[in-house]
Amino acid sequence: MVRSQGVAYLFLGPWLLGAIGLTVAPMVVSLYLSFTDYDLFNSPRWVGFDNYAKLFGDDPRYLHSVGVTLRYVAWSVPLKLVLALAVALLLNSLRGKGQAFFRSAFYAPSLLGASVGLALAWRAIFDTWVDTPDHALLTIVLLSAWQFGAPMVIFLAGLQQIPRDLVDAAAVDGAGWWRRLWSVTLPMLSPVLFFNLMLETIHAFQAFTQAFVVSGGRGGPADSTLFYTLYLYERGFTEFRMGYASAMAWVLLVAIAVITAVLFRTSRYWVFYGDER
Amino acid sequence: MRRAGVVVLCLAGLALVSYPIAWLISASLTPVEDLVAHLRSLFPGRITADGYRGALEGAGGESFWTFLGNSTIVASGAVIGNVVSCSLAAYAFARLRFRLNGPLFAFALLTIMMPAHVTLIPQYVVFQHLEMIDTFVPLILPKLLATDAFFVFLMVQFMRGIPRELDEAARIDGCGPVRNYRYVVLPLSRPAMVTTAIFTFIWTWNDFFAQLIYLSSTENYTIPMGLRLFIDQTSSSSYGSMFAMSVLSLVPIGLFFLAFQRFLVAGVATTGLKG
Amino acid sequence: MKAHGVLGLMLCTVLAASACGSGSGSGQTEIRFIWWGNDDRAKVTGEAVRLFESRNADIKVSTSFQNFQNYFEKLSTEIAGGNAPDVIQMDYRYLNEYAGRNVLLDLTPYVGKEIRTADWNPGFIGSGKLNGKQVAMPLAQNATAIVYDPKLFDAAGVKVPEIGWTWADYRERAAKIQASTGGKIAGSTDFGGTEDVFETWLRQHGKKLYAEDGKLGYSKDDLKAFWQLSKDFRDGSATTPPELVTTLNAGAEQTPMGKKLSASEHTYDSLYGGYHTVRPDELKLGPYPSDSKEALGSYRKPSQLISASARTRNKDAAVKLIDFLLNDPDAGKILGANRGLPANLKIREAVAQHLSGANKVVFDYEKAVDAKLGDAPPAPPKGDGAIYKLMQRKHEEIVFGKKTIDQAADEFFEDAEQALS
Repeated sequence: MVRSQGVAYLFLGPWLLGAIGLTVAPMVVSLYLSFTDYDLFNSPRWVGFDNYAKLFGDDPRYLHSVGVTLRYVAWSVPLKLVLALAVALLLNSLRGKGQAFFRSAFYAPSLLGASVGLALAWRAIFDTWVDTPDHALLTIVLLSAWQFGAPMVIFLAGLQQIPRDLVDAAAVDGAGWWRRLWSVTLPMLSPVLFFNLMLETIHAFQAFTQAFVVSGGRGGPADSTLFYTLYLYERGFTEFRMGYASAMAWVLLVAIAVITAVLFRTSRYWVFYGDER
Repeated sequence: MRRAGVVVLCLAGLALVSYPIAWLISASLTPVEDLVAHLRSLFPGRITADGYRGALEGAGGESFWTFLGNSTIVASGAVIGNVVSCSLAAYAFARLRFRLNGPLFAFALLTIMMPAHVTLIPQYVVFQHLEMIDTFVPLILPKLLATDAFFVFLMVQFMRGIPRELDEAARIDGCGPVRNYRYVVLPLSRPAMVTTAIFTFIWTWNDFFAQLIYLSSTENYTIPMGLRLFIDQTSSSSYGSMFAMSVLSLVPIGLFFLAFQRFLVAGVATTGLKG
Repeated sequence: MKAHGVLGLMLCTVLAASACGSGSGSGQTEIRFIWWGNDDRAKVTGEAVRLFESRNADIKVSTSFQNFQNYFEKLSTEIAGGNAPDVIQMDYRYLNEYAGRNVLLDLTPYVGKEIRTADWNPGFIGSGKLNGKQVAMPLAQNATAIVYDPKLFDAAGVKVPEIGWTWADYRERAAKIQASTGGKIAGSTDFGGTEDVFETWLRQHGKKLYAEDGKLGYSKDDLKAFWQLSKDFRDGSATTPPELVTTLNAGAEQTPMGKKLSASEHTYDSLYGGYHTVRPDELKLGPYPSDSKEALGSYRKPSQLISASARTRNKDAAVKLIDFLLNDPDAGKILGANRGLPANLKIREAVAQHLSGANKVVFDYEKAVDAKLGDAPPAPPKGDGAIYKLMQRKHEEIVFGKKTIDQAADEFFEDAEQALS
């Protein structure tokens, strides 16, 4: 490690500027707003902890949206990561043009993002499933898992960085395919795995656009796809209760931060960095 | 033999995964009157180019090429911004020792966890004061300032995977932190930077909400916005054109991906033990 | 490294390109006009605006448009961020969300003067009032209607919707149609979650959605009776199954009618164009069923309104543009029936001469029911937006069997009262 206070801040310059001007300031404002009743157009009115009290005491739809989001995270994150890893491993055993072709092909779904056209396609393909409360959430989980291209690409890049000598050495030692995977590849891949797990989890908690376009903005049917951020949006923008929505945002932030901290803590048991001595 | 098995498996997976895209393409070629029947099946009876004609003509007085150009400018700017600023910040977090490293990094991660909708209006106010509304600046400037902490984190993870022996070797050779960054870490981070470039391009290309908020004049609209001009539920919608534009929009980002994805092959077969 | 040089060059180009937003001239009054619609509306509105500019050399109008779904997000952000447009197209359901928060200019001083109202139906003007203040002017008129497929009615041997038919008639005919298609096509689209239908039904019973003081204008029993009505349709196999219930409020192509899964459906006549695009010349508009001889329930509703921002710095220019769009005969010719039946009656007659296709069907329908149309009530109070969604939600819970009508009604009233407070 190079000792370097001043140089560090040189490198961090742009990020610091952006963080302070475009992130910290708005975050502080939103924290303030969470203690107010703010209808977007007129001055905010201080209400103390009322918003937070209402969230946990008097808002069944809120608790319902928490449940929907938790279920979504529990289903979609593992599914997406397993798919991404499996396909990446598969592709990694191909070379050259073959790998390039399949890489692009499997990434194609992610190119569509959350476009309206895709939402309509999804509604057409899954037809009545999308409009039945018991199945609607599942269709969104599938939509998210279908776009596994991003973590897949990251896994691939990580796989490429694993020194071939290590893997080959293991093969020479007589290790079978599964053994090689478990003892060499996965540990070497663990930083990337950790990264993907973290980010996918964070993104899953914040999932908005897919649910928004597929359910037409309402989180229906019967609130079965009422994601946390969707409910936040409804309260803030369509009901003009931005103070309440800000409180929701901060609760989410704290929750995600806690979960992330837990993930970080437990990571020292299974993540192995190449730059450690 | 084994390779053939892998290829077959891949093809099967591909067929499954491509179905929705195939549906989209076929929808873009279906005449509007048949769209209803088409909702159930993949292959339309009749085919029409009306959708594409409408898409290329554009909406609101601007052609598809205008939207394309705008999307390209915004996405390219975002790519440059993210690649440069995030790699700089990531290097500081991953390799440089300074007192606030831990806390600042934690803070960077915190910024990823904030839902966008509540910081939207304060950010809008900032740009409103700078009189930058209805320009591309609010869409690109944040990227130049590494506000996409996702990529900072991505690069940090990659950089931490680069063996420190290389840094040591460089230091012995007399490299300070800046040259270390430029000649050792940066080249080896190519996969991470390419990944950043690709994701930034695609995510910015598809990012509808920020574009909706900051752009007002039709001539500044990007593709996701232009696309939505075709569907308005209070009047009549041009679904064919909307689907066609969705498909057309895939072309540039598909090409971008194809062009850059070969750099994902690190070329780190040597793992730099030779430096 | 060469790469850095290239990057630097690209950066400069991109920054330069991105700083080119829209320029502005000086010495002129500039106003911004924002509205929602599709490409056709963009064309005619653009033309009308340019005509306005040519007649008012000192006013420059920059326009912006979105589709309906995204319009209000953007509008709210702009207003909240201090960048409100000057002239704003408004929706009846959202009017008081904005007006009630002091965002719209009080046009009362201008009504009858700079905003001419000589050729207007006086009752119609009132639809843009809130607490005695004129917060918006109606742009065009529409009314509730039943859109139906005459072929299916004929095939089942039942009469098509006609003035004077009752809800019992509707249920019978719908059940017959549904039976005649073997259950594949529903006789009607389940209407229990649609506030617009509920309102029409309430008016037939002499009640209304909201009282003068902004509270609910109906009782729990009324709501239960209405939901029971839709349940009777379901029990009598006369309406769409639960999975189709949620699709009613999307564009025409997404509705059961648009997807050829239903034979008749509630709609607003101004939305007929959307149906016409996916099912050209197949569908017709008919009047609502009513159990009352005198009251049809439908009323002259403003399909859109036009208003000005309370924070505009160019009141006069904004008002001028509003008056131009509403009353100028040349503007009327250009705008045609794109936004619905023009509010100005003279312009409406002039436009009616040249109508064809979908617009003609709408015009003919309005003419046929005109005598029975009532005056619009004042725009719904703040919180109606939430109540509208609440009704959909509660109805979904009922049809999917998650709540009984009584439970849903109790919860509805609790939540509705909260929303209005």
